[in-house]
Amino acid sequence: MRIIKDTKIDFMGHARVAIFLSTVLILIGIGSMVTKGGPKLSIDFNGGTLVAVNYTKAIDINEVRSALSTVMIEGQSFDFSQAEIKHFGDESNVAVRLPSMENEPEKFSRNFVDQMASIFPEFVPDDKTEFILSIEKVGPKIGAELSGDAIMAIFSALALILLYISVRFEWRYAVGAIAALTHDVLFTLGIFSILDYEVSLAVIAAFLTIVGYSLNDTIVIFDRVRENIKTMKKLSLDKIINKSINQSLNRTIVTSLTTFLVVLVLFLAGGEVIHTFAFAMIVGVLVGTYSSIFVASPIVLKMGTSES
Amino acid sequence: MSDEEKESLRTSGDLEKIESRIIRQGLDLKGGMYIVLEADIPTLMGNLADMRDERLDNILQIAQEKSAAPDIDFFTVFEQEVNTNGLKLARYYHQYGASQEEIMSGVMEEADDAINRVLEILQNRVDQFGVAEPTIQKQGKHRIVVELAGIQDSDRARALLQSTALLEFYLVKNVGATNEMLAQLDDILRGTNNSEELVELTQGEKIKNISEPEVPETAEEKDDDGIKTVSELFGETDSDPSDPSNTASDIFTDNPLTGLLTAFSSDLGIQEKNIYAVRKLLDKPEVQSKLNNANGQFLFSHEPDLLQGSATEGKYYKFYYLEETPELTGGVVEEARADLGTLGSGSAGQPVVSLTMNSDGARTWSRVTGANVGERISIVLDKKVHMAPSIREKIPSGRTQIEGFNSINEAKDIAIILRAGALPAPVNIIEERIVGPSLGADSIAQGTNAVIIGLILVLFFMLVYYKASGTIADFALIWNILLVLAILASLEATLTLPGIAGLILTVGMSIDANVIIFERIREELRKGKTPKAAIQAGYSRALTTIIDANVTTVIAALVLYQFGTGPIKGFATVLFWGILISMFTAVYVTRTIFNTITTRKGITALSI
Repeated sequence: MRIIKDTKIDFMGHARVAIFLSTVLILIGIGSMVTKGGPKLSIDFNGGTLVAVNYTKAIDINEVRSALSTVMIEGQSFDFSQAEIKHFGDESNVAVRLPSMENEPEKFSRNFVDQMASIFPEFVPDDKTEFILSIEKVGPKIGAELSGDAIMAIFSALALILLYISVRFEWRYAVGAIAALTHDVLFTLGIFSILDYEVSLAVIAAFLTIVGYSLNDTIVIFDRVRENIKTMKKLSLDKIINKSINQSLNRTIVTSLTTFLVVLVLFLAGGEVIHTFAFAMIVGVLVGTYSSIFVASPIVLKMGTSES
Repeated sequence: MSDEEKESLRTSGDLEKIESRIIRQGLDLKGGMYIVLEADIPTLMGNLADMRDERLDNILQIAQEKSAAPDIDFFTVFEQEVNTNGLKLARYYHQYGASQEEIMSGVMEEADDAINRVLEILQNRVDQFGVAEPTIQKQGKHRIVVELAGIQDSDRARALLQSTALLEFYLVKNVGATNEMLAQLDDILRGTNNSEELVELTQGEKIKNISEPEVPETAEEKDDDGIKTVSELFGETDSDPSDPSNTASDIFTDNPLTGLLTAFSSDLGIQEKNIYAVRKLLDKPEVQSKLNNANGQFLFSHEPDLLQGSATEGKYYKFYYLEETPELTGGVVEEARADLGTLGSGSAGQPVVSLTMNSDGARTWSRVTGANVGERISIVLDKKVHMAPSIREKIPSGRTQIEGFNSINEAKDIAIILRAGALPAPVNIIEERIVGPSLGADSIAQGTNAVIIGLILVLFFMLVYYKASGTIADFALIWNILLVLAILASLEATLTLPGIAGLILTVGMSIDANVIIFERIREELRKGKTPKAAIQAGYSRALTTIIDANVTTVIAALVLYQFGTGPIKGFATVLFWGILISMFTAVYVTRTIFNTITTRKGITALSI
């Protein structure tokens, strides 16, 4: 069984259209980030508290919001009606995200959970330990450090990969690969911003996995190009690249399909905690496959064979 | 395994052995808490100083604020501030040397030493608390990461970790002195505050009439020792707030502080909602300097109590005026034990902690109690008053009891904390992640399902697409997963949800290696090569591609491991080993199988 027989698609001939399309989509994403003041960061990076609780019945978010407009904790009155309140997984679970506070009262999270319980006392599970799904609290200093680490992680990964490809291939391949990776990460960030998804530590991990995956894909094609340059000396570079992409097209489709299947299952059945991670991976697999063909390869072509 | 089976294994001690061989589940799968504590270095520095004044306090505060930015070391900023302000460190820290350099290295060593002792004490506390497989590690210079899997009561664990365990015994100042101080503070505050600010402090709630001279019916304190009742005390104040025309702001203008107090059995009480306002008032510099001059301090009880009565019903914190210096501190405690109070004592059936002191402590205790019969002494833990009984007679044995716990568990925890000793530096929680047991259970069920479904889909696809060769790839893939799990178990790594995601990605990458090889073999077969030659060419051509592709992913995994924390590290570990092993299973194992088949049977057609 073969998905496609020998193909002779002129990929490089369509590269101009593809790059135009990519540029427009990325600009839309960047536009969205600019108007929203940067990507939406989770408490991992911004600091704050995230409390998720589990009622026994579907809950109306607006009721929670109005109940949280005056909360008394240890003699201080708080208004949390502006906080981000949403369902977590299904409708009976509620997550509230609160900003970091100066002089937070002692035992704040315990008191806050008690307040959440008192909104709908009849819907609190009998076993109180089942009421709390999760509490995450990140101090502002840790948040800033984590963002520093995340930025360091992404840039050092890119630098090391650039170095490896320059050594194993040629400089222009490295440029092509890095361009494809930057494209993938910007594209995914843009989608996250448009959909109002949070960028958390797990999403950064997903980004780095996308980087790894997309690179894997790009290198398979580059490897074929390198091999074909040696054996097909008479052909022009754009013909060689086209031929290489066509030759590895079956593999590209099969691999992308299997990986896509796996992350799709993760997205659909993996549970709430892993949801955004899986979503980033789905976008990444699609974009990563696309960018190897339509971003990385045209750049290698543009930079020409002059250096070799 | 059923619970009974587990129980019988546990009693024979085998359960632990078995558990040590399986992969540990992370907090996100099992439920539990992850806490990062940071030693409060500025406070430690303040405590280390031989002498304290405003200049030093100012510099400590500035350095603390500046070091709140990421990746800035407190000591670096502190030294800069010292230099710019021309502070002579030898004035405050002469015990560490004469020159600034000596002193800086001395206090830094002291801080390192302190954090190591904090680590030890926390380990001790957690061990006695009894959690399965706790992890307590130092992270960086001044941080400690604690992971407690499967813990249900996060408040209890948090209190156990964060308590400084500073136990102090202070004499309570007598009613006359208390009354005088309150009146003086009212005078000071009246002069400096406008009533609006105060009304705002209590959230504009109308203050209930506080002056009713009532003695609650539920008085359970032993107030039979000549102490004036609070109603008498308030009778002496100069205003008459019982006048119904008094509004909240009137009371504030007249009695900014006492206006917030109320009678609570033989003590002063502050309603829970006013506690913040009172703290604010007491923090004012003019109030602090007044208290300093009088060698006194105000402390609250550790938990609010219910005051029953008509108009003033509600939860109240008790409020005590104490001497500034403790008579005795917790260092003298030799043994602490949680118990229920014995019959016949005032605390019958109540949870108590019994203390035994060493000989020094016993001597001091006997002197202090002997000299102050009839006075009250307060037992203060972490600056919160647990009880303030009257001294009835001299206590020569060095034994005493602490009361005032909500539950026997709380008493047990306090006993643990007191046995393990006080922390040399206070610690702050800077990061905290708690996963409830139900979310953990959901995550593990869903995560496992996702892995199994994804795996079955991939195995099935390979079988359909590559037929017999697909079986070989499937075999290699299953080996890959088993080996990764085995390595995780032997590394005693923790399997977290991102770890499961890493496993799934490994599946994808491992299959890719086989897809690259198989597609290559197919190409070679189309060129007319024999199966054996096609396999030969397919593997050798594909190998460089696979290596290049996998090395780059390994780079990404290593970087993730380096910069990531907790869960991300788990993901990186799985990905790293997954890819290394896939190079072995997807290339070497499948090749061996192909070679065996083609040489033994001399087949002419390949099912691929």
